[in-house]
Amino acid sequence: METYLFYILATVTVIGTILAITEKHPVHAIVYLVTSFFSLASIFFLLSAPLIAMFEVIIYAGAVMVLFMFVIMMLDLGRADEAKRPPLRQWFLPVILGGIILVSIGVLAAGYVTTPHAPGAITVRDFAVTLFRKYGVAVEIISMQLLFAVVGALYLGRRRP
Amino acid sequence: MTTADLWIALPLILLAVGALLTLLIGAVTRDDTAATAIGVAVTLGAACWLLQTPPLPVAPSLGLSAAGLPRLFSCFFLLLAAGVLCLSSGYNRARGIGGEEYPATVLFATFGMLALASATTLLTLFLGLEAMSFGFYILVAVDLKRATSGETGLKYLLPGALSTAFLAFGIALIYCVSGTLAIHEAVQLTLTSGRPDPIALAGWGCLLAGIAFKLSLAPAHLWTPDVYQGAPAPVVAFLSGGSKGAAILLLLLLLPHAVDASHLRIPLWGVALLSMLVGNLAALLQNRVRRLLAYSSIAQMGYVAVALVSGKGGGYQAAAFYALAYGVISLAAFGAIAVLERQGCGETLDDYRGLGQSKPFASGVLTLALFSLAGIPPTVGFTGKFLIFTSAIRSGEIALAVIGVLLAAISVYYYLKVVITLYSKHTGTADASHPTYPEYSVLILASTAMVLLGLWPDALISLLSHLLP
Repeated sequence: METYLFYILATVTVIGTILAITEKHPVHAIVYLVTSFFSLASIFFLLSAPLIAMFEVIIYAGAVMVLFMFVIMMLDLGRADEAKRPPLRQWFLPVILGGIILVSIGVLAAGYVTTPHAPGAITVRDFAVTLFRKYGVAVEIISMQLLFAVVGALYLGRRRP
Repeated sequence: MTTADLWIALPLILLAVGALLTLLIGAVTRDDTAATAIGVAVTLGAACWLLQTPPLPVAPSLGLSAAGLPRLFSCFFLLLAAGVLCLSSGYNRARGIGGEEYPATVLFATFGMLALASATTLLTLFLGLEAMSFGFYILVAVDLKRATSGETGLKYLLPGALSTAFLAFGIALIYCVSGTLAIHEAVQLTLTSGRPDPIALAGWGCLLAGIAFKLSLAPAHLWTPDVYQGAPAPVVAFLSGGSKGAAILLLLLLLPHAVDASHLRIPLWGVALLSMLVGNLAALLQNRVRRLLAYSSIAQMGYVAVALVSGKGGGYQAAAFYALAYGVISLAAFGAIAVLERQGCGETLDDYRGLGQSKPFASGVLTLALFSLAGIPPTVGFTGKFLIFTSAIRSGEIALAVIGVLLAAISVYYYLKVVITLYSKHTGTADASHPTYPEYSVLILASTAMVLLGLWPDALISLLSHLLP
């Protein structure tokens, strides 16, 4: 069962990502990307990494994509003539993809048995220890990178003389 | 975190604190001299700290390496950064590039190079390379007054992001096969003596494709001429010497651990041949000095790829030697170009006509650097090429060595074309502007290093053969 679910969700992820790349309208592209993030989160859950699955949903599908949406709305890239409700055929694919993910999550949830301390399961504590002890240097390097991404964006975004 | 950890991580901490301090200084004063001074002090201080023997080869709880090769290259990156900062202050003032962001970003890029050098896991290796590239994405487009700088930045950013994706995917595939991120084990398990896993080979293919971009090896070289032409000259010196040196170091940290590196022979052989051909032949047609040097750099990286193909026959030492040598030559060549451009020189070959008389110092350094790139003794370029081609012959890559020597002979033509232009008669106005003291000192030091390493390379070669198997 889980193998079938994996292949179905993997197909949805790939299709969602391809559509996100090929879609011309930026907002539609983001919706497809969110779709692919959701199915990726379900795959992480299948791989018994529920924490990563939650992060995928909260950080990527939630925070990052909302930020993208904000920027696109602020820049006003969407054309005014397409501001009306999209025609029915444009709803078709997202609904199918979203439906598949929803059904998969439903199947997963129905068959899920809570085992409080399964042997070999990764807890939040294990995750945190590995991240900040073993890969502590990596976290510091990434924090420097993010800082300089902001510095660079501020500098290069200055109004040119 | 123990004392030994702190000891080994101190250069990285110094650079990070220095970069932050530089940013903070900018909030207090608009004078860039203080920021540059902090940058030079931090890089030189960290380089001095690296010269002493560390208490342990690997930091116990941080997983940072302090072995000989990383320390040697870290010192090199730090000295290069110090030189670039010295050259930049005059150049930036003339070009109107202001702000504390410039020295801070140079320090940050150096931080990335040091993180890459001291990595013991593939993760740190990747993040170090990415931190360095982040710095260069900003530095390449730093000249806001120049119309083409945005274009240059984008031309570097977009292929750079693609190559990062390749690199990350390659590392993921290697991790998928070996199940470990530790460099030593991951390389040993994926490049085994028998028939290797196809997924592992795909991983190595992606990794090499990503690195080929950073090294500007053909066919991933298309960004090089545009970036070399559009970026500020000191940044090009840093990019050409530091970023390529770091990419070579990345391969030198990985490949010597392989049980059987011959699985990578065919792709490396191909890019080596293609880079030497494309670089040398395209450089013949250029009439702008910076573009000419860009194509020449593609060819030079082709020679390095020849050394990497020759691997165990002394090729790794030759590649490391050439990485260091090319860094010094880049600093001298683009340092001299920075001085000339600061004094109002244009970018075409015609603008360089007769500069040998009116600006003898910078032209002399540029000439020495061009001789070095052409591989004329007694400069370091000759020694480096000699090491590369002997290692190629020793490990049986006769065809590649012969083609390389022939193309190197052809390359002498376009290098000497620039030298002849510099010293031909020109009835122009002689102006009396001189290089500044920081520029004098950096260019003199780089020239001395070029000649000394060419005359007495034994010390460095024996050090490298001690550090690399």
